[in-house]
Amino acid sequence: MLQNEQEYIRILTDRLSGTLAVEDLEDLLSDYREHFRIGKANGRSEAELFCSLGSPDEAAREIRATHLVKKAEHTCSCGNIFHAIAATLGLGLFNLVFVLAPFLVLVVLLLVVFLVGVAFTVFGPAAFVYAILQILGSPSFSIWLSPVAGLFFSVGMTAIGILLVIGDFYLARFFYHMGIRYLKWNIHMITGTGCAQ
Amino acid sequence: MNIQFKKGVLEICVLSVLAHKDCYGYELVNEISKQIDISEGTIYPLLRRLKDEGYVTTYLQESVEGPPRKYYLLTESGRKEEHELKEEWMRFTTAVNALLVGKNDAAE
Repeated sequence: MLQNEQEYIRILTDRLSGTLAVEDLEDLLSDYREHFRIGKANGRSEAELFCSLGSPDEAAREIRATHLVKKAEHTCSCGNIFHAIAATLGLGLFNLVFVLAPFLVLVVLLLVVFLVGVAFTVFGPAAFVYAILQILGSPSFSIWLSPVAGLFFSVGMTAIGILLVIGDFYLARFFYHMGIRYLKWNIHMITGTGCAQ
Repeated sequence: MNIQFKKGVLEICVLSVLAHKDCYGYELVNEISKQIDISEGTIYPLLRRLKDEGYVTTYLQESVEGPPRKYYLLTESGRKEEHELKEEWMRFTTAVNALLVGKNDAAE
């Protein structure tokens, strides 16, 4: 691989052009160009400067992850948090354990709470109707030992179901914001290898 | 030193170099890599983040040789952050040092 300014700038541009806004990318590139310019004025070679800057791929991955996490912070959406997590995963293999695993656990947890909530919400009214039918004496098979207790129980069940679904929404929002803070910290702390030489 | 550990403290290093004087990127990178062996390219993303968070701002200044350079300057909240991180760091290292010394004493 060539180790010069042009190649460094090319890799950064290539990795970031779809992600960063054009003016942000230009601003970033100008920092690196200035670095090469002053370095060369101080008598260092492009290869030397390239090497001490470290891998441009790595710098690009970090910039990308930071940008996508910031975007997910400003605009909460499933797509944004998904992109942010995917970008953070690219920072290092061990983020499979430190990012992907907790993320999957939380998603499953939220899903389970949601499904239980929906099941209660749907099953409650059904059980209520059944209890009434049972009081009226129509169904031959009884699910409630006491149909009156069944009435109260099914109302309670519906209420809990609705609360679970609403609570799940707040829980998701809480995890979202905690997740953003964690991802920021993660990107801040994590680094890969240095110079490829 | 563990490379992951180093990256965590890079933010304090950048802030405290800037607390002494405004720097252009290359100068800042040089100041830090004189003391710590890091991938210099990661300082620029860090500077961007610090700028986003409002801890630093930039201005252009003419240089004797070549085009103007971009200087980084600590903001008021950057100074506060630098101060807090430094205090925290001092407390932490003092505590760790005490433990390390204590452990050696016990081993003797």
